[in-house]
Amino acid sequence: MNTRFTTQRIYTRSNGMRNTFGNFVCLYCHNFVSAETAISGVHNRNHCPYCLSSRHLDLFEAGDRLSACKARMKPVALTLKHSIRKYARPGDGELMLVHVCEECGKVSINRIAADDVNEQVLGVLRASGALESGLRRVLAENGITPLAMADWPAVMRRLFGLN
Amino acid sequence: MNAFRITEPNTGFVTKKLTNIYHIQADGNSLVCALSARLKRASNGDPVAIGDVVRWNESGQIVEVLPRRSQLMRRAAKPMPDSYAHEQVIAANVDQVIPVFAAANPKPAWNLLDRYLVSAESAEIPALVVITKFDLVDGKPESAEIMSVATEYRAIGYEVIVTSAETGLGLEELRAALANRLSVFVGKSGVGKSSLLNALEPGLGVKVQQTSRLTGKGRHTTTHLEMFPLAAGGAIIDTPGIREFGLWDVDSADLALFFPEMRPFVGVCKFGLDCSHDQEPGCAIRRAVNAGEISPYRYQSYLKLRDEQP
Repeated sequence: MNTRFTTQRIYTRSNGMRNTFGNFVCLYCHNFVSAETAISGVHNRNHCPYCLSSRHLDLFEAGDRLSACKARMKPVALTLKHSIRKYARPGDGELMLVHVCEECGKVSINRIAADDVNEQVLGVLRASGALESGLRRVLAENGITPLAMADWPAVMRRLFGLN
Repeated sequence: MNAFRITEPNTGFVTKKLTNIYHIQADGNSLVCALSARLKRASNGDPVAIGDVVRWNESGQIVEVLPRRSQLMRRAAKPMPDSYAHEQVIAANVDQVIPVFAAANPKPAWNLLDRYLVSAESAEIPALVVITKFDLVDGKPESAEIMSVATEYRAIGYEVIVTSAETGLGLEELRAALANRLSVFVGKSGVGKSSLLNALEPGLGVKVQQTSRLTGKGRHTTTHLEMFPLAAGGAIIDTPGIREFGLWDVDSADLALFFPEMRPFVGVCKFGLDCSHDQEPGCAIRRAVNAGEISPYRYQSYLKLRDEQP
């Protein structure tokens, strides 16, 4: 078979398995995770708030559930989302978690949820100082600038509102 | 089609089916029969399907259905929420199943196509996919996606014919594919099954209607099953639009075998034939999807159908 099945269907997009943003038990830390918006503050619960792990389930767009990889996506760094505001200053964006698939290396950035354990988020920032150069290059290719320890005050401000 | 040439006495071919009324063609003549009480009692649903070869008695009642060489089945709609599901034979003794999809108005639902194809594979009937109303998307960006999906299904091994009853696109190719075979059209209401039939055999005058302007869906114009002989030999069974198509008699453990592109990978997984191709590590099918050898959309259809099966 020579055809590569890699084309996204947009015009005939189906609902697929979209209704899968529900409660779940984390496959890695085995904690129960509620997908209630009132608890998480986000509509699409896409990682465990306790260990911050995610799963590689989407292929073309969030919620399409078309990926067959299904491996763990490990939190490797924090970054700031590029702000869409016209007069935004550098570093004005929202704090995001950077996930990398342990099997296929797919990179994605996800919003921090309200109930994410802050110690874990800060732990990711500390550990990201030792990111290997290959991974740094992949992040750069995806337009992601990982935060460093120098950005600690900015992270604290976003997590706790402290100056 | 040699099935039309039945010469046994009181034996014929069901060519039209309305509720409890069966039109039978035998030796050039046609007659209308009902169902015998004994045959009705012996079955959960309707024991006679269009395409069946049947025997009748002197009272004009069908008393026997002869063994079928093929049958296209689906899970019948439940009459009551608590009632047991049973099978419904859509057509019997067919040579090919033709899922019909419109390029637009209504938009194609490819997961429904996968249902038809799995059903045809499990019944061991060849399938030919027909896309109608291509004139509605011709020259628009949507046409590229339709052609790309058609290419994907061709790569799997299915014949796909893109047609337009309006412009005549693909009709000659379709006529050739239908000649000397008994084919059954299946598809949602409004996809243009009857319009295609009128375009293939001008003069048939099968009733057609525009799709609803409000919902973009069909209006269930065809309400019975009928077989139409073709000038080039063979016949087509036109069916009413099908809203739901639940698989019948397909075991979830065998489901991957009914996806031709997955067949080479069945049994190759780490857990062999016990792999359900969902979460298991070392699954060959998931690996093939990741490598782009199997369409992620077909894999998604597989998972959806597997979750529905017993």
